[in-house]
Amino acid sequence: MKHKLMTFILAAMLVMPGMALAKSELVIAVDSPPKSMNPHSYNSDANLSYMANFFDGLLQRPAPEGKLAPALATDWARKDALTWEFKLRKGVKFHNGNPFTAEDVKFTFERMKDPEFSKFLNIANSIASIETPDDFTVIFTTEKPVPWFAETMHQNFIVDKESSLERDSGDYNTKPIGTGAYTFVEWVKGSYIRMEANPDYWEGAPVFKTVEIKPITEAATRFAAIATRQAHILSGVPIPMIAQIKKNPAVEVVSRPARRAIYMDIGNKPGTPFADIRVRKAIAMAINEDEIVSTVMRGQATATAQVPDTATIGYDPDLKRLPYDPEQSKALLKEAGYENGFEITIAGPNDRYVNDKQICEAVARYLARVGLTVNLDVKPKSIFFDELSSNKHDFYLIGWMDGSYDFGRSAQLLLHTVDPDKGLGVYNGAMYSDPALDEMIIASSAILDRDERRAALQAINKKSVEDIAWIPLHYQQDVYAVSTAVDVTFIPRPDRWIVAKEIKK
Amino acid sequence: MVLLAVSFICFLIFRFTGDPVLMLAGKYATQQEREQVRIAYGLDRPFYVQYANFLGNALKGNFGKSYISQVDALDTILERFPATFELALTAIFISLAAGVLLGVVVSIKPGSLVSRAIMAGSLGGISIPTFLMGILWVMLFAVYLEWLPPFGRGETVQIGPWRTGFLTLDGIKHIIMPALTLSGYQLAVILRLTRAGMREVLSEEYIKTAWSKGLSPFTVIVKHALRNVLIPVVTIAGLSFGELIAFSIVTESIFQWPGMGNLLLVSIFETDHPVIVTYIMMAAFIILAINILVDLLYAWLNPKIQYN
Repeated sequence: MKHKLMTFILAAMLVMPGMALAKSELVIAVDSPPKSMNPHSYNSDANLSYMANFFDGLLQRPAPEGKLAPALATDWARKDALTWEFKLRKGVKFHNGNPFTAEDVKFTFERMKDPEFSKFLNIANSIASIETPDDFTVIFTTEKPVPWFAETMHQNFIVDKESSLERDSGDYNTKPIGTGAYTFVEWVKGSYIRMEANPDYWEGAPVFKTVEIKPITEAATRFAAIATRQAHILSGVPIPMIAQIKKNPAVEVVSRPARRAIYMDIGNKPGTPFADIRVRKAIAMAINEDEIVSTVMRGQATATAQVPDTATIGYDPDLKRLPYDPEQSKALLKEAGYENGFEITIAGPNDRYVNDKQICEAVARYLARVGLTVNLDVKPKSIFFDELSSNKHDFYLIGWMDGSYDFGRSAQLLLHTVDPDKGLGVYNGAMYSDPALDEMIIASSAILDRDERRAALQAINKKSVEDIAWIPLHYQQDVYAVSTAVDVTFIPRPDRWIVAKEIKK
Repeated sequence: MVLLAVSFICFLIFRFTGDPVLMLAGKYATQQEREQVRIAYGLDRPFYVQYANFLGNALKGNFGKSYISQVDALDTILERFPATFELALTAIFISLAAGVLLGVVVSIKPGSLVSRAIMAGSLGGISIPTFLMGILWVMLFAVYLEWLPPFGRGETVQIGPWRTGFLTLDGIKHIIMPALTLSGYQLAVILRLTRAGMREVLSEEYIKTAWSKGLSPFTVIVKHALRNVLIPVVTIAGLSFGELIAFSIVTESIFQWPGMGNLLLVSIFETDHPVIVTYIMMAAFIILAINILVDLLYAWLNPKIQYN
């Protein structure tokens, strides 16, 4: 028995070198594991990033700018306030060989309404009906005007109707069948996802034939992975270790401003000190954002005056931050009748954004310096977000980035007066309210013309900044490390997705 | 009974760990959509109904589906079991072999420099936290010396339902550091236990008799002394095996070891209640089962103990 086992082990070791050759051409380490292979199971960029390799949306957003471009649809148009028409690409096949048609699109969006399969209820439920006049035309009619409808089409991935209906949910959730540039090979949970180039991809087969994505949740281990050349590309370089990684000649550090803005949300609830704009202004001027960027964020952040990022429709390049001026801040507090300060609680998550807890602590110190009595209330995100939805906090740190690249939806969720029945102000946790701004937000959703719409959204953005409906701090920075040992051209995307077809030699 | 209590406590705790619906419904969801999700997942029902439902299903072996991946929670965990089991097995093997060996060495020549160094090292094993130890191992052996890979399981071979890393050189290389890290504390405990036992036994009359009979040092120490010392050592090792399986969370997350502990951490982060409760139930079950097994083994090793 013992002998048999030994021979077996020896034999296994002999086959070993052969297995080592089977290593993937490109190994990418990321910070977040995939949750599911059902493309609608989880609305987070971390999961969508994996899905973007196996599936296509009707549209896509290629690196580096993330501008909307054709994918499974070749043409699209907003026919009127409620109607959207998409012309589909011909000759595309799913990985199982099934042809891609309008039926698949219809099926996908209908399935997305079912909470059992989908976490994309919001966009799916906004659709009143889907018509397919022929195999390559789809017409969506929405319940109410959804100006950003097409803007979300890069993340609503299309599934194959026939095989999706046939398979049980276990199979459907673990083995993706899409039209994407890569076909699924193997998912060993907690270890890696392997994929292979789709030779028949409609854009042409991707450069790297075999790709492996490995999730590593621990920051120190991610550092070790790139330092020991176990990965060719690393997404989510831990900020405290950037200096060490930069010293390593085998590795190149690539970074770009992220879409996500970090801001302090503040309200104007009557009866609180925040109702007075002078108080809000005083708080904004007391915060030394440049110091936060240089010390807390170690330079890996970009200060901002507004929440939408540059790629978002509604971004206003003319907006400026209020200057850091503690003296002026104290004067404003005095003017508002708070010469002796007041008690303020700074809330925030401690496990959601880059250095979130440290930023809260820094803000606490700045506010204490202008004479406020500060309490700090940071906690895990699962509890913090729960409390937000019951509007428990008046002043808190949060981050935002809208998957749609359109400020309209952000404004509805973050700035509009809280109105749960209409789905407005869902994330307006500090309960900021301004009827004039509400009107502008609602009016903007009916504007069809893109330029006109941009102007309207910019006006909303500007008004919110001038009235200090929030105190924007900075955009996070996405930091990647790329091995110089292999021939890889990697251009980071604004949404941090790792889309392997965009990685070239 | 214990399992019942454990599951009840889990459910109680969940009431304070945040609302899973917020995350499940997605960030653009309206209030109605959140309610729709709440109903779809049965989270709208009162606490006791949810608990009774869970118990009823659990008795039938159905622990529910993961909120996030929509895959059976028990399957999700069992899929990760081989990785954790192999890691714990290697760790316990290292701590037993090295612990007993070093313990014997230390007890034979208690005053020597080597013994003093070993004892000092064992203090470190007990007091240095696992995560620090793990990171130090990685920095030393992976980053500076580049002898061992820093994370993961390496090449694995799938045999039926079991995915093993023991059969490839790459897999064995990958297990060394995490197993060393995980074994650190147990190794120190076993070492100290062996030493204490050996010192006690070595001063017994029958050992003196053995020496005076002129038996070789090896026979005296291994055959006569060590055998008697091993009983409590094996007990402790056995008991801690369950703990190693159940609580290898820190080690697994440092080395990105794709085991159950790693899964638990991610699930807690995502408020994935079905996976968390199933994991904790299973951990409780493993520890209980191993305690019973060790009790039986104990009786077998030591005929003086009998259970009626």
